[in-house]
Amino acid sequence: MALGDAWKQISWFYYQYLLVTALYMLEPWERTIFNSLLISVAGMAVYTGYVFMPQHIMAILHYFEVIE
Amino acid sequence: MTESSANKPANGEVCHRTTNGVKPCRNGFVKNHYQQQQHQKSCYLEEKVYHIASNGGLYSRPFLESFEQTPMLVAVLTYMGYGILTIFGYLRDFLRDWKIEKCHIAREREEQKDFVPLYQDFENFYTRNLYMRIRDSWNRPICSVPGAKVDLVERASPDYNWTFEYTGRVVRDVINMGSYNYLGFAENKGMCAESAATVTECYGVGVASTRQEMGNLDRHRDLEELVARFLGVESAMAFGMGFATNSMNIPAIIGKGSLILSDELNHASLVLGARLSGATIRVFKHNNMQSLEKLLRDAIIHGQPRTHRPWRKILIVVEGIYSMEGSIVRLPEVIALKKRYKAYLYLDEAHSIGALGPQGRGVVDYFGLDPRDVDILMGTFTKSFGAAGGYIAGRKDLMDYLRTHSHSAVYATSMSPPVVEQIIASMKCIMGEDGTTIGEAFVIHPALISFL
Repeated sequence: MALGDAWKQISWFYYQYLLVTALYMLEPWERTIFNSLLISVAGMAVYTGYVFMPQHIMAILHYFEVIE
Repeated sequence: MTESSANKPANGEVCHRTTNGVKPCRNGFVKNHYQQQQHQKSCYLEEKVYHIASNGGLYSRPFLESFEQTPMLVAVLTYMGYGILTIFGYLRDFLRDWKIEKCHIAREREEQKDFVPLYQDFENFYTRNLYMRIRDSWNRPICSVPGAKVDLVERASPDYNWTFEYTGRVVRDVINMGSYNYLGFAENKGMCAESAATVTECYGVGVASTRQEMGNLDRHRDLEELVARFLGVESAMAFGMGFATNSMNIPAIIGKGSLILSDELNHASLVLGARLSGATIRVFKHNNMQSLEKLLRDAIIHGQPRTHRPWRKILIVVEGIYSMEGSIVRLPEVIALKKRYKAYLYLDEAHSIGALGPQGRGVVDYFGLDPRDVDILMGTFTKSFGAAGGYIAGRKDLMDYLRTHSHSAVYATSMSPPVVEQIIASMKCIMGEDGTTIGEAFVIHPALISFL
C-alpha cells in the first residue's frame, strides 16, 4: 500500500522532470542519452565529493584553528 | 445608472478650441493648461483609486484589470527546455546530414544543387526539430459541427508525427474551446439554421457580383437596418469578410496628411488598413491613456513632421476587447480625450459585440456610453453571431460616403444570403425580437472576458 503510493509519487516526479527539461517531447533513445549524460555527470560529482571530503573537512577545521 | 459622456463636460468643452492643429499659443502651451492638469489628475486618480461616479469620474462602476507577470522560475525553465531541444535538434540534423538517419522533410534532389535553393534548410530548423515532435496536438480533424461540443477523428502516428494514420474511432463530445462561438449560435440545427436553409432555397447561394453592380439584395438592406438598430446608430453597412472590412475601409476614410494613433496590440487587419491608407501612424502603449494623451498633444502642437502644418484628421484606432490579452479598452477615457482634442475614434468591436454589456450591444453598452460618441463603430459577425463578415456603423452621411467609396463595395463580392440570414436570425434572438427569451441568457459576466 505504502509502496504503491511511493511508486505513484516517484512516477509523478519523473513526469514533472520530463516536462520541465522538455524531455517529454523527445524520442526514447534521446531520453536515454540525456539521462545517461546527466547521471554520469552527477555520479562523477558525487564520487569526487566522496573522495575529497575528508581533506576538505580537515582544511576547514585547520582554517578555523580547531585543529593544530 | 449610467452617465452618458455626452452629458459630461469632460473638462475640455469650456475652452472653445478650434479644429485640430491649432497653432500653439505663447510658450508652446495649449490653451487652458490648468484644465489639462485637472483632467490628468483625474486620470491619475482613476489609475489608482479605480472608480467612482460620485466625484465626477468617468466610470460608472469599478474597472479592475490585472495581468500577472510570468514567474521568474517558469521563464528560466522554459528557456532551459528550449536550449535542450535546440541541442538535440542540432544532433538530429547532424545525423540526417551524414545519412545515418532518413530525412523526412522536403528537400531538393542532388541534381538541383547548383540552382537557387527552393528550400532553405536552416530556416526550417524549428519546424523540423520542434514543431514536428508535438504536431499531433494541432490541426486535428473533426467530424461534426464545431459548436459547444465537437467530435474528433482519432489518429495515431507510428513514426513520431511525420505521418498519421486514422484508427477508425471517433472521440465524441469533446468540449470545444477553440471556436469563436461565444454565444453558441454556431450550430447546424435550430432556428437560425432553418431560416438560413429557407433563404438558400429562395435566393440561392450567392450573386457573384459586387454590392454596387448586382449583388445588393433586399436582405442586405434589411441586415444593415437591423445592425443600425442593434447598435443605436443611424446607419450601417455590412461586408463579406471581417479582415477586409478593416483593411479596405480605413484607406477609404483616411489618407495622406492625416494621423492615425493606434494601440500597440491592434489586430493585423487594422495595421494593414492603416498602412495602406498612406497616413502617418503613431503607436501608443497598450490601453495607456497617458501615452495617448501625450501623443495627441504632440500631434496638435507640432503638426506634420517637416512642414508643421496642422493634421487633416487625427484618428484614434482601438479595439473593444483585445483578442490576445483579454483586456477591455478604457472607453470612457478615450472618448473624453477624443472630445477634448477633437479627434475621431474608430472602435473595432470584433470580439466584444454581442458578448459585452447588459443587452449584448458591445463595449459601448458595457460602459453605458452613447454610441453616437464613437465616430466609426466596426465589428465582425464571425464571433458572437456564428456567421462571417463585418460591418461598419456610424452617421448616415459617413455611411453614404462609404457605400460609394469603399474598396470592398466596389470590388468585393457581396455577402452570401444564407450567411446574411444567419446574422439576422441571431441578432434578432439577442435583441429578443424573435419572440423567445433565449436572448436574456446570453449576458456574459465581465470577469470571464479574459477567458474568451
